[in-house]
Amino acid sequence: MAEGAGGAAANGGSDEKVLDFLDSVDSYLTTMESLAPILRQGWFDLASARHSMGVFRVSSASLDLKDHSASTYLQMVGHESDDSFVGQPSFSLCKWASADNKSCCSEEEIPDSQLRHRGTSRLSENQEQNSNGDDSLKTVDDLVKKERAKTLSVFGTLVSPKLRTAQLSFETALEVLVEAANIRSSMLSAYSQVQKQMEDTREGEIGPIP
Amino acid sequence: MAGRAQIATKSSALIAMIADEDTVTGFLLAGVGNVDLRRKTNYLIVDSKTTVKAIEDAFKEFTTREDIAVVLISQYVANMIRFLADSYNKPVPAILEIPSKDHPYDPAHDSVLSRVKYLFSAESVASGRR
Repeated sequence: MAEGAGGAAANGGSDEKVLDFLDSVDSYLTTMESLAPILRQGWFDLASARHSMGVFRVSSASLDLKDHSASTYLQMVGHESDDSFVGQPSFSLCKWASADNKSCCSEEEIPDSQLRHRGTSRLSENQEQNSNGDDSLKTVDDLVKKERAKTLSVFGTLVSPKLRTAQLSFETALEVLVEAANIRSSMLSAYSQVQKQMEDTREGEIGPIP
Repeated sequence: MAGRAQIATKSSALIAMIADEDTVTGFLLAGVGNVDLRRKTNYLIVDSKTTVKAIEDAFKEFTTREDIAVVLISQYVANMIRFLADSYNKPVPAILEIPSKDHPYDPAHDSVLSRVKYLFSAESVASGRR
């Protein structure tokens, strides 16, 4: 009876791993499918910008080849062992970090003042918090606009509005791709667990080698 | 020798790109472009004149650089170096195959899905039933 219960628990655990794997594959496929229309919109806006600004202004010839750091990069959290990443690394996108301000200027960041919850609050404190939160949001917003404008300036002083909308489309595409990278990471982790389980099951059925 | 303890680390890293001009230009607009002092970039623009060797060299370079966490590669470009892309199996940098204007994304060719679809193949099911 106890063995049956243990066997049922083991089967339940293995089923859960398989389900996790299948869920992650489904999420990966769904995320990659959602990428296509976003990229398509970006390419379309880029073509429209090229049409209005001229072929030579919106081309690889305009790209900045002077040394500069990426404004948008990834924060990666993982486990290192023997100078290599093991386990399941996770990625988060850090958008529009300026060279002067090393912290991330991403619009997804919410200032800490807006996240605090207090048991008792006074109206004046709330107003002061709200105004501090608004000021910090405005600062972040200004920095993001400045970084975006700096990137667009590679293509000239006056750029087509379509180039700006193309920029936003590709920013959105980046967010989707970072999500896909995280799902890929969990999918490979779930896959290795299921594979290990299958090998353990086969070894258990074959028995010890004399 | 016992394995070293795993240390949780947080680090910043770049996104590399191997794709056509429009795709690379678009992502550069989003601010991912990086050029170091030696004028080495984190992207390769693939056009009709780009050789397979140049693509392979860029892929090998980006997958061995420590400052790159994700490599975006157009799927039609990955198909040109399919053997190399499929033989890559490290967790970082993550390789993401993306569609291009003329070549939509095909899950059947995605290297990571090819790796895991073995679990759904008839061979794996049959071997589990023996």
